[in-house]
Amino acid sequence: MTSIAEGLFKSLPKPKYTGEEEELPQHAQRGPRIVGPGQLDETQIVLRRTGPPPYGNRAGWRPRAPEDFGDGGAFPEILVAQYPLDMGRKGTPSTSNALAVQVDAEGKVKYDAIARRGHSDDRIVHASFKDLIPLRQRVDMGEVSLDRPSEEEVEAQMEKTKNALASLVSGAVAAQKPKNVKGGSRAEPTFVRYTPANQMGDTSRKNDRIMKIVERQQDPMEPPKFKHKKIPRGPPSPPPPIMHSPPRKLTAEDQEAWKIPPPVSNWKNPKGYTVPLDKRLAADGRGLQDVSINDKFAQFAEALFTADRHAREEVRLRAQMQQKLAEKEKAQKEEHLRALAQKAREERTRGQASRASRSPSRDRSRSRSYSDASVRSRTPDEDEEAARERERIRRERRQDAERQLRQSRMGTERRIQAMAREQNRDISEKVALGLAKPTQSSETMWDSRLFNQTSGMSTGFNEDNPYDKPLFAAQDAINSIYRPKPQADFDDEADAEGEMSKLQKSNRFEVLGRAKEGFRGAADAEERSGPVQFEKDTADPFGIDSMIADVTGGAGGAGQKRYGIQEAEPESRGSKRARVDEED
Amino acid sequence: MDVIPSTTPEEAVRASAKRTADLFGPEYLMVTPSVANGSIGVSYRRKTEYEHVKELPPALAAKQAQAAAARSKRPKISAPPQGAGTGDKSGASTALVRRGGRGPAGGAAGEDKPTSLIQRPSATRQQPPEWHAPWKLMRVISGHLGWVRSLAVEPNNEWFASGAGDRTIKIWNLATGALRLTLTGHISTVRGLAVSPRHPYLFSCGEDKMVKCWDLETNKVIRHYHGHLSGVYTLALHPRLDLLVTGGRDGVARVWDMRTRSNIHVLSGHTGTVADLQCQEADPQVITGSLDATVRLWDLAAGKTMGVLTHHKKGVRGLATHPREFTFASASTGSIKQWKCPGGEFMQNFEGHNAVINTLSVNEDNVLFSGGDNGSMSFWDWKTGYRFQTIDTTAQPGSLEAEAGIMASTFDKTGLRLITGEADKTIKIWKQDDQATPETHPVTWAPTLGRQRY
Repeated sequence: MTSIAEGLFKSLPKPKYTGEEEELPQHAQRGPRIVGPGQLDETQIVLRRTGPPPYGNRAGWRPRAPEDFGDGGAFPEILVAQYPLDMGRKGTPSTSNALAVQVDAEGKVKYDAIARRGHSDDRIVHASFKDLIPLRQRVDMGEVSLDRPSEEEVEAQMEKTKNALASLVSGAVAAQKPKNVKGGSRAEPTFVRYTPANQMGDTSRKNDRIMKIVERQQDPMEPPKFKHKKIPRGPPSPPPPIMHSPPRKLTAEDQEAWKIPPPVSNWKNPKGYTVPLDKRLAADGRGLQDVSINDKFAQFAEALFTADRHAREEVRLRAQMQQKLAEKEKAQKEEHLRALAQKAREERTRGQASRASRSPSRDRSRSRSYSDASVRSRTPDEDEEAARERERIRRERRQDAERQLRQSRMGTERRIQAMAREQNRDISEKVALGLAKPTQSSETMWDSRLFNQTSGMSTGFNEDNPYDKPLFAAQDAINSIYRPKPQADFDDEADAEGEMSKLQKSNRFEVLGRAKEGFRGAADAEERSGPVQFEKDTADPFGIDSMIADVTGGAGGAGQKRYGIQEAEPESRGSKRARVDEED
Repeated sequence: MDVIPSTTPEEAVRASAKRTADLFGPEYLMVTPSVANGSIGVSYRRKTEYEHVKELPPALAAKQAQAAAARSKRPKISAPPQGAGTGDKSGASTALVRRGGRGPAGGAAGEDKPTSLIQRPSATRQQPPEWHAPWKLMRVISGHLGWVRSLAVEPNNEWFASGAGDRTIKIWNLATGALRLTLTGHISTVRGLAVSPRHPYLFSCGEDKMVKCWDLETNKVIRHYHGHLSGVYTLALHPRLDLLVTGGRDGVARVWDMRTRSNIHVLSGHTGTVADLQCQEADPQVITGSLDATVRLWDLAAGKTMGVLTHHKKGVRGLATHPREFTFASASTGSIKQWKCPGGEFMQNFEGHNAVINTLSVNEDNVLFSGGDNGSMSFWDWKTGYRFQTIDTTAQPGSLEAEAGIMASTFDKTGLRLITGEADKTIKIWKQDDQATPETHPVTWAPTLGRQRY
C-alpha cells in the first residue's frame, strides 16, 4: 500500500502550494493593518477591494472569504478547496435541517434515512419494498435461522436488563421516600479561627477571633421558593413508514351498508318534520315480520267451503223432494176432486134423468123466484136515485171523452200545461205576479269558501271553522247599537219593563218606510261604542234664536216651555247663560 | 396372422400408420402422433424450423455449462440443473433452446420430460405443510355469567383460571372441568390473567383500571399496581425477571416491579388501545399489539421502542409467540402475519380467516389457533401458514345467535388441549381427534403457481 502511494506521489508533479510555510501576501490579509506613524507613506496606502482581482492579476491569489467570490461560484482554475457562500465548509453549524442524501453500499439512495432521523442506529425501521416480501421469498435471503437465542445470550441480556431496571427501581423507591423535609438535619456548626491581617499600614497586633458558623435555621413549612417549570417536549421522532396499502376507497355499496336510517316514531315528532308515509310504515315494524299463516287455516276454509256446499246441496235436494211431494199431493187432491166431480156429475146426470122424468117445471119456478125477490126489494125512489146516478156517470163519461178529444187535438206544450194545471203545479201565474223566483243557480253550485283563495282548502282553511264569515254578520252592529238600559232608579219595576219594551218595539226612526236608507252622513260617521255624545249646539251666528225669543216674547216662551219658577225671569238671562255656556 | 379378427377400417388404418411411423419416422420426418407432443403439425414445424438451433453453438454451450456449475454451488437451488435451458432462472437467455436428447421424434423417449418449450423458472421447493390431527370439542364448561374474556393455565397443568364479564375469576380443574374457586374483587370485566411460574401468585387486570396480585396460598389480593389511566386489557409476566407488563385503553404498556409495585417504565408510543401484549426472555422482550394497527417491539432495558411494524391495516387484537421458534404472530381483522423476532422481519401471511380475530394461540406442535369474533375458528400450520381446519363454534343452547364468539384462548401446558373463552359465557375445551389419520383427513395442499422469489 505504501509503495503504491509512493509510486503515485513520484509520478505526480511537485505541488505548487504546500500550504504550511506559506506567508500570506499583502492583498490576502484581511482586516485593518495597524501601522506606526513613521511607517506610513503614500505608496503604502491602497484601496481595499473586495471581490476577485481582475484577470491577469490572479497568480497566487486564493479565494478564502465569502466576499472573495463576489456572489459567484468557485473558481475552477484555482486548484484549492473553495467554499463559496460557506457551502460545504466543515465545522460551521448548519441551520438547515435538510438531510444530506445518503447512499448504501450499492449506490442506491437510502430513503429510510428520513425515517431513521432522530432514532438511534439500532432502531429497526422497515422502509423498503423488500420488507413487504415474506422472508423466505426474498431473493437475497440465505438460510433463515429461527432458533431462539442461546442460553448465554439470554443470560447476558437478562443481566443487562436487570441492572438497568434495578437502578430504576431503586430510584423509584427512593423517590417514594420522604426526602425533602427541611430543617430535619442541621449540619454541625464549624468553628473558624480568624486572625485579621495587617491592613493599610496598620501593623498593630490584633486579637484572634474564633467564629462559629451555623447553618441558618430554615422554616420547615416554608413553601418552595422556585416554581417548577415544565420543559416543553422535544420534537417527536419521525413516524414509522407505513408498510401497507392505503385503505380502499369507500364505495357506494359500503356507504349504503353503513347507512343507519333516522329513527321515525309514530308517536313523537317534536320538530314536526314531514315524514313520508313509507317511512312511517317502515318504522312501524309491522312490515318487518312477514305474516305466516298456518296451513290449518287453508284446510279449515276448505272444509268450511265443502261443508257449506254439501249443506246447500242437501237443502236443495230436500226442497226438491218436498216440492215433488207437494206436487204429488196436489195431483192426488186434484184427482180426488175430479173423481168427486165426476161422481157428482154422474150422480146429477143420473138424478136429472130421473127428475126430468118426474117434474120438468122445477127450473123455471126457481128463476122466477129470483126475479121476484129483486123486484120486490126495490122501492120507487131508489129507482130514481139509481137513474140519476147512471145519468151522472154517463155525463161524466161524455165529458171525459170530449176532453180527450180536445187534448188529442192540442199541441204538446198546451197538453203539458194542462196536465200541470190539473196537478196543481202550474206556477206561471205566480211568476207573473212575482211571487215565485227562480233559484239562484250560481249561488248553490259553488262553495263560496273556495272563492278568492290561492289554493283551495289547503291554505289557511280551518277545519274547525268552516265559515269564512259569521252567519249573522249584522249581529255585531246590532249589539253595538246603544239601547237604554233599564235603570235601577225607576220607581216601579213593572213600569220600567213596560217602558223598555215599548222603547224597543217602537221603531222610532222609521218614517214612511224610508228608515233603511238611514240618515244622510250616518254612514261615514265613526263607529261608536256607547251612548251618543251630543254636542250642545250653542252657536247662534245670526242671532236668530234671540231674535225669535224677542219676537215671540214672554208668551212665546210660555208657550214653548215653562219651568215653574224660572217663568218670571227675563229672557236676557237665558241668552246670557247661553253665552256663558258658549264660552266654556 | 392369417385371420385378422374383425377389425374396423379405422383401427386398421391407425395400426398401419403407427407401424409405418415406427419403421420410417426418424428417417423421414414422420412423427408418432402421440398425445403428449400435441399435434403432428407442431412437431413437424419444430423439426423443420428449429433444427438448426437444436444444438447450442460451442462457445455458448461452454458458457452455460459454467453458469450452471456456478449456480449449483449456491445452496438454495434445490432443483439440479437438468440439461441446457431448463431451470434457467437468470432470465438472461430467452432464446428458444432445444433440450438434449433426440427430442419428441424419439417416441416414448420424450414422454417423461416436460413438453413446453419455454419453461417456468422453477421455484424453490415449497415446503409442504405438516399434518395435524383435526380438533374437536371435548367439553363445555358453563359457569360464568358473562363473556369469558381471559384465560390462564397454571404451570403444573392442574387447573386453569378464567376471568369474565361477571367480574369474577374462576379457577377450574383442568382434568375434570370442576369449579374449584371463585375470586371476587374486580369491579368490572376481568380482561387479563397470568399465573406466575416462579411465585404462588395470580395476576389479574380488568376494565376497572386495576391490576391485582392474588396470593394463591391465601386466595387474597396482596398487591395492587396502581397507575393505569383507563381499563387494563392485557397483561404478561416476564419469564425470567420479576416483572409484570400491562397494557390497556390508555395506549401505554406499563412495566411494574412485582415486589415493590413501582412503575418502572411507561412504554408509550401507541396511539390506540394496547389490545395484546407478549413477553419473552430475549430482545424484543415486550411486544405489544395495538388498535392503532401497529405492533411495537420494545427494548425493556431502555424503555424505548425498538421497532414498529405497520403492515397491518386494522387494529391488532391478537399476538402469539412461538414457544420454540424465535418468531411471533399478530392478528388483525382478516389477516394474520408471522414475524421473525429480533428484527421483526415479515415472514408470512396466514390467509383465509375473514373475521375480527380476537385471539391467537400457538402450541409446541406448530398448531396456531385463531378465534374470531363471529365464532369462527381456524387451525393453522405454523411453519407454512396452511389452514388445516376451520370450524365454527356453537353457542350454548339458549344464547343468542350473536353470542357465538371467541374472546380468549390458550393451549394448556402440554399443547394437547385448547381452552377457549367465548361470548356465550362458556369455556370450551377442545382436543385433537384420536381417530384421525393422514388418510382420513388428508392435507389438501398444492404448491402455489405464483412467483416464489422476488
